[in-house]
Amino acid sequence: MIDRRILSWIVLVAALLLALALAAAIGSERLSFFDLTEQQAAILFDIRLPRVLLGACVGASLAVAGASLQALLRNPLAEPYLLGVSNGAALGTMIAFVFFEQFAFARPVMAFAGAGLATFTVYQMARSRAGMNVERLVLSGVIVTTFLSSIIVLLTSLLDAARLRGFTFWLLGDLSQATMNGFYMTLAASVIGTIVLTSQARPLNLMMIGERDAMDFGVEVSRVRLIVFGIASLLVGTAVAASGSVGYVGLIVPHLVRLALGSDNRHVIPFSAMAGAIFVVLADTVARTAIAPRELPVGAITALIGAPLFIYLLRKN
Amino acid sequence: MHPAITKTLVICLALLSLAGLSCRSVDLPTVGTPTRDVRDDLGKTVRVPEKIERAISLAPSLTEMIFAIGAGDRLVGVTTYCNFPAGTASIEKVGDTQSPNIEKIIALKPQIVFISTASQLEAFQKTLDEQAIAVYVTNPTSLTEIFANLRQLGDLFGEPERAQSLLGTLSARVAEVSKEGNIQGGHRVFIQISNEPLFTIGKDSFLTELVELAGGVSVTKEVATAYPKLSKETAAALDPDVIFLSDSDDNREPNPAFKNSNAVKNGRVYRINADIISRPGPRLVDALEEIASKLDSRRTSASPGNSNVDR
Repeated sequence: MIDRRILSWIVLVAALLLALALAAAIGSERLSFFDLTEQQAAILFDIRLPRVLLGACVGASLAVAGASLQALLRNPLAEPYLLGVSNGAALGTMIAFVFFEQFAFARPVMAFAGAGLATFTVYQMARSRAGMNVERLVLSGVIVTTFLSSIIVLLTSLLDAARLRGFTFWLLGDLSQATMNGFYMTLAASVIGTIVLTSQARPLNLMMIGERDAMDFGVEVSRVRLIVFGIASLLVGTAVAASGSVGYVGLIVPHLVRLALGSDNRHVIPFSAMAGAIFVVLADTVARTAIAPRELPVGAITALIGAPLFIYLLRKN
Repeated sequence: MHPAITKTLVICLALLSLAGLSCRSVDLPTVGTPTRDVRDDLGKTVRVPEKIERAISLAPSLTEMIFAIGAGDRLVGVTTYCNFPAGTASIEKVGDTQSPNIEKIIALKPQIVFISTASQLEAFQKTLDEQAIAVYVTNPTSLTEIFANLRQLGDLFGEPERAQSLLGTLSARVAEVSKEGNIQGGHRVFIQISNEPLFTIGKDSFLTELVELAGGVSVTKEVATAYPKLSKETAAALDPDVIFLSDSDDNREPNPAFKNSNAVKNGRVYRINADIISRPGPRLVDALEEIASKLDSRRTSASPGNSNVDR
């Protein structure tokens, strides 16, 4: 019998390739793949593929960020959205858009800064003399999230109507603004992020038992924490800058992976990357084609699938 | 005194004074003035005074219409978006079209409030109903209906002759354009409402009809809803001959999906003042003339045959 994990690797890689191929094959325009006209080639290579590939990277980034935050905080609800990381990134992106529109790299940089700042604030709020308290952390996350939401609402109210429409769409998670540059940036972040976080899987495994126990095993808890927070901010920042807030990916995907493979982070983190990619690519395929030639925001689809699935998982366990 | 008690007292006083401010007496519109019943665009019966002296407009298009029929002096409140004609500058602003200030509206004691479905304020109507303020809703989806609105407004404000002569002028201008435009119609036109995300006009927009009157055909005329978000793949495949941009900060360039289109290759991308093109009011005829002249002036340099997906 083949090792279950090797089998899972094969299955997931095959599923990812299949999802990418499917997403590339379907769209609002029918393409004759064996005899592409110049126009069809432009549609495939300039519009569809960048979007599909970006979707894969965004999905991987969000799922990996979710998986590692959940391990670090020993809380299955720890998710970029719940902790305010996504809203920090969203606010950063909006500020970049309003004030630094002329700089091409302002959006991802500001998104990363926003995500990092939100994470840092939540972390500082949650830290007490007795050490890190998980309930306090989740509570701080909720407070920072709602606070940032209100600033976002305030900003959208100050913007004029035409811009407002763009932002409402973008806040719901929208991959239609995909470019090759955005894809490269998100690809770099997701690959580096997944590798770095997978390298921290062993200490994270120990920390899941308890931070004190991990310290006894020689884990530098504060260093691991810094790496996870930093990399998660980078992943969420680049994902949000490219596509707005695509929800539920960081919550649902690691859960499913753990259900299938157990909770060893050496597998949960890289597998979440692939499963997250598959989830978002397929969800975006629905968003692109369901009411073609019109479009839905992909965040609406992930939430539509994610929320009931999450309730189901919650009740089943 | 104990500081906590002092604090409580101060807060109580502050709250009381606030309450006092908010219950300044408000006079409802005088009862007893002669009224009549009319039907608005939603088919709702509205009781309006025989002679309207104090009206509020909650849509820039309606403000322009009311001014155009010569009743601008009877507007006591407009929105912050109502920037035309110049006379609007001195009229009290009751907030923007997204969130008008109900207290201000009541304080201005209007006999009637005009709302357009174009500004999506249907929900606000309920609030005004509760305050016993007459609400008249317009829902123009074509130039014909805009003209019908002008006639109704002329009638409501007791300015039927003025409205009639305005309609005469506007109709003549439309007829003039259509006469020329119909000679060589068929320019495939794309109207870009916003660049990122890509919004355009669909079959329910009055602009679809306007493009046709100008001698073109909207390439998105089959798409559902009035202002759909369009797939970029479809945008690229549509390959329009001419692109019009509703001119605003974030809509100065055609979407990258159009980079290989005839319109971009032949430099046939034009900006049109967003206020003119987006408001279903009398200036829509200006937009019509502008679109027609752009379609017309370069007719000779129209695109070469298009071998790609044609639909």
